[in-house]
Amino acid sequence: MQRLTVKNGVVASVEVFEDEGIGIRVIAGGAWGFAGVDDLSPASIEETARHAVTIARASSRVNRNPVRLAPAPALVGEFRTPVLRDPFEISLDEKVDLLMRTDAAMSGLAEIRIRECSLEFGREIKHFASSEGARLDQTIIESGGGMDATATSDDEVQTRSFPNSFGRHQVRAGWEAIEAFDLPGNAGRIAEEAVALLTAAECPAGTMTVILDATQAALQVHESCGHPTELDRVLGHEAAYAGTSFLTPDLLGKFRYGSEQVTMTADSTRAPGLGTFGWDDEGVAAQRSVLVDQGLFTGYLSSRETAAAIGQVSNGCMRADGWSRLPIIRMTNINLEPGTSSLEEMIATTEHGVYLETNRSWSIDDRRLNFQFGTQNGWEIIDGKRVRLVRNPIYSGQTPEFWGSCDAVAGSAEWQMFGVVNCGKGQPSQLMHVGHGAAPCRFRNVRVEPAR
Amino acid sequence: MSGADALLAMGDSALASLARGDAEVIISDTRSELTRFASNEIHQSVAERFRHIRVRLIDGGRTGVGEVRGHDGRAIELAFAAAEDSRRVTAATEVSPLPAPSPEDRDLPVAFAEATAAATPEERAELVAVVTDAAGAGGVNAYGALSTSTTTTAIVTSAGLRRSATSTQASLVSVARGDDGGGYASRHSADIAALDVTGLAAEVVDTCERNQGATAIDPGDYEVILSPYAVTDLLEHLAWVGFSALAVQEHRSFMHLGEKLMSDMITIRDDARTSEVFPFPFDDEGVSTQPVTLIDHGVCSAVVYDTPTALQDGVTSTGHSLPQPNTWGPLPRHVAMDAGGTPWREMAGTVSRGLYITRFWYVRDVHPLRTVITGMTREGTFLIENGAITRPVKDLRFTQSIVEALANVVQVSRERRLELGEGESGVLSPWLHIGRFSFTS
Repeated sequence: MQRLTVKNGVVASVEVFEDEGIGIRVIAGGAWGFAGVDDLSPASIEETARHAVTIARASSRVNRNPVRLAPAPALVGEFRTPVLRDPFEISLDEKVDLLMRTDAAMSGLAEIRIRECSLEFGREIKHFASSEGARLDQTIIESGGGMDATATSDDEVQTRSFPNSFGRHQVRAGWEAIEAFDLPGNAGRIAEEAVALLTAAECPAGTMTVILDATQAALQVHESCGHPTELDRVLGHEAAYAGTSFLTPDLLGKFRYGSEQVTMTADSTRAPGLGTFGWDDEGVAAQRSVLVDQGLFTGYLSSRETAAAIGQVSNGCMRADGWSRLPIIRMTNINLEPGTSSLEEMIATTEHGVYLETNRSWSIDDRRLNFQFGTQNGWEIIDGKRVRLVRNPIYSGQTPEFWGSCDAVAGSAEWQMFGVVNCGKGQPSQLMHVGHGAAPCRFRNVRVEPAR
Repeated sequence: MSGADALLAMGDSALASLARGDAEVIISDTRSELTRFASNEIHQSVAERFRHIRVRLIDGGRTGVGEVRGHDGRAIELAFAAAEDSRRVTAATEVSPLPAPSPEDRDLPVAFAEATAAATPEERAELVAVVTDAAGAGGVNAYGALSTSTTTTAIVTSAGLRRSATSTQASLVSVARGDDGGGYASRHSADIAALDVTGLAAEVVDTCERNQGATAIDPGDYEVILSPYAVTDLLEHLAWVGFSALAVQEHRSFMHLGEKLMSDMITIRDDARTSEVFPFPFDDEGVSTQPVTLIDHGVCSAVVYDTPTALQDGVTSTGHSLPQPNTWGPLPRHVAMDAGGTPWREMAGTVSRGLYITRFWYVRDVHPLRTVITGMTREGTFLIENGAITRPVKDLRFTQSIVEALANVVQVSRERRLELGEGESGVLSPWLHIGRFSFTS
């Protein structure tokens, strides 16, 4: 992995990270055991396998119910992320040059106190083998980058980011993705917007129409559809940490999750999302599942063990964030499918509301119902026109009511695949990279206010 | 040769071949195991063992970093080669010098217990069974995790600094769930033998049993008593957004040194030497971590430094560095709030109508400069009426400035608890009685 950061005109860090090891998951005495080690000598691997068995047998002494797995074929194959230009073939000098040009384009405004931009590239070579006969080889390549411009005054701090907040936008693709971001070409605009926010009016308060940009729509999907459809949460496996879910099995196929405009899918075949792969970490093939079909709740993200608990087979969502960690159910690419509207049309047909861009804060309860999000900026809309920039907006609601109030989703032309690179789950905590395709979308009767 | 001595020797050997410039080598060996339970059964139990090597090379004003996780004999060579690759492309700039060793770099406490280092999967399963048996006896289900970890860290630099330490941590966290509500409890210690597992089991089942059939109340401003689990979130977020010298230098911290922003009853320290908060002798530059009083009786007193921020302000590092170089700045990782004088069980006595909050969940910074955070209550929110806890209420969302809350403190408890924050640093917190706390939905 390579990570490069430029801050305030200086190369703040260039880090190169390599990591190698093996994780062994066993069932012994009807219970799971897992052990990972970075020493790949035969003796170490044998000792680690024995330790995994010891762990499983210790657990089996407490447990009453043996592990049951849904059947899955033992597959053999190879997968490689398609890239036009391998990011590891691009010199570090060229990467640093791009960041320095981006930084320079953000400079020049006295109120901008912090300029930071970064690039990150990862290459994961993964071999999977099971005692059932699976043999799978995958090479996954990721490219990411982004920038933040932070403006300060005596009583305010405002940050604008591009293409996404919290460091970067990341995809499973090559250097061509970084070039398409056009970081230098957007840097000046981002800096100007951060400065403008220092003196912008506070966001209006009230119940009004909200239009989310595609990046914020992606995070809304992540928190309010991705997590509650994880079947391990539904079955209580995460109750002590990440939480449970309001989408209980009795609601499957019956519950109205959102309006007819809302269709959401889990699709690990869809490039260039961060959840795109050949097979998951149980060896189940990448696939597309419909989670919400025109508003109706229809599916879960599952594993072989959790699928068996509800009489299904796995739809391939078991992922570990590295060799040292146990695979658990993770999002793949959880997408809000495109609609037929457009951002321009949504704004033009809004009497009073706000158009909100780029996430700043996010919080949701442990069943994934009560949420509150903040965004970096907002545009107040009156009579179909953007009338002014507003700062510190937050909006809140309850998941089914919110998605039930969705009356428009933009079409394919404005639909884009984004990534979340800091999705935390599990004990010990695992940080997963997951993908979300989304487009701007509109919601009626939403509570909006400024952060005070 | 002990594990620490072997890592120091490995660092010495690598530095011996350094042809030019300066170098810092950080090597850590980690062994970490965790047993996780749900519905009174162990559903996940895992172990991991690895060596992490981080090399920082500085030459001609250029800094490069290489990191390798692996036990292969070539790992340290790979890390040096990666660091040199990255050093070559960085522009020359003013570089903070590597810290020199100090005479006081000795005999500082470190959290370590042999029982934790030697803990087995069988021992963890037996301790988990104490919790699941108590839950089963109470007719509820227990969920949670018991973890043990041992880490040996060595730092060797070309400036002559050689530090090493071996630390342990044992943590038990549990949620109990009944038909219509749940409870939470946790215990943490360097020593697994000192974990009060029976006390945890009793507490989590008791909270769960009392938190059945919660009813909704209107959001709004309430007087609150926050348990240490909830206070830990407030302290951790203050540390993240404001207690760093870099945050002050970049004008994004609420800390205005010398100004009184909080109640006289509030004193917040960072103390890596107290036995109560996982003591550890040095930071990621190998500098001895000094105790720092951050808030002194409500007054913004001091922030923490690493070498780069100390150079900027013309002071010396307080030993709170993260791995260098970084853009985040220093961080206090042993935060403690001073205890007050009120027994916590008596705190509700003066509240005519308010809320007792067991814990918060999914706390996020909404406006860091104003220390506004949002989050949910979880697993134990109770109504206080006429001086007594009367009934459970449904969870609420709060949106609240931490500084304003700590300005409105009415009582601080005599007792404190060690809790792990979301960032997994230890935080020592009392119960707090706060006059006004804002719940928004």
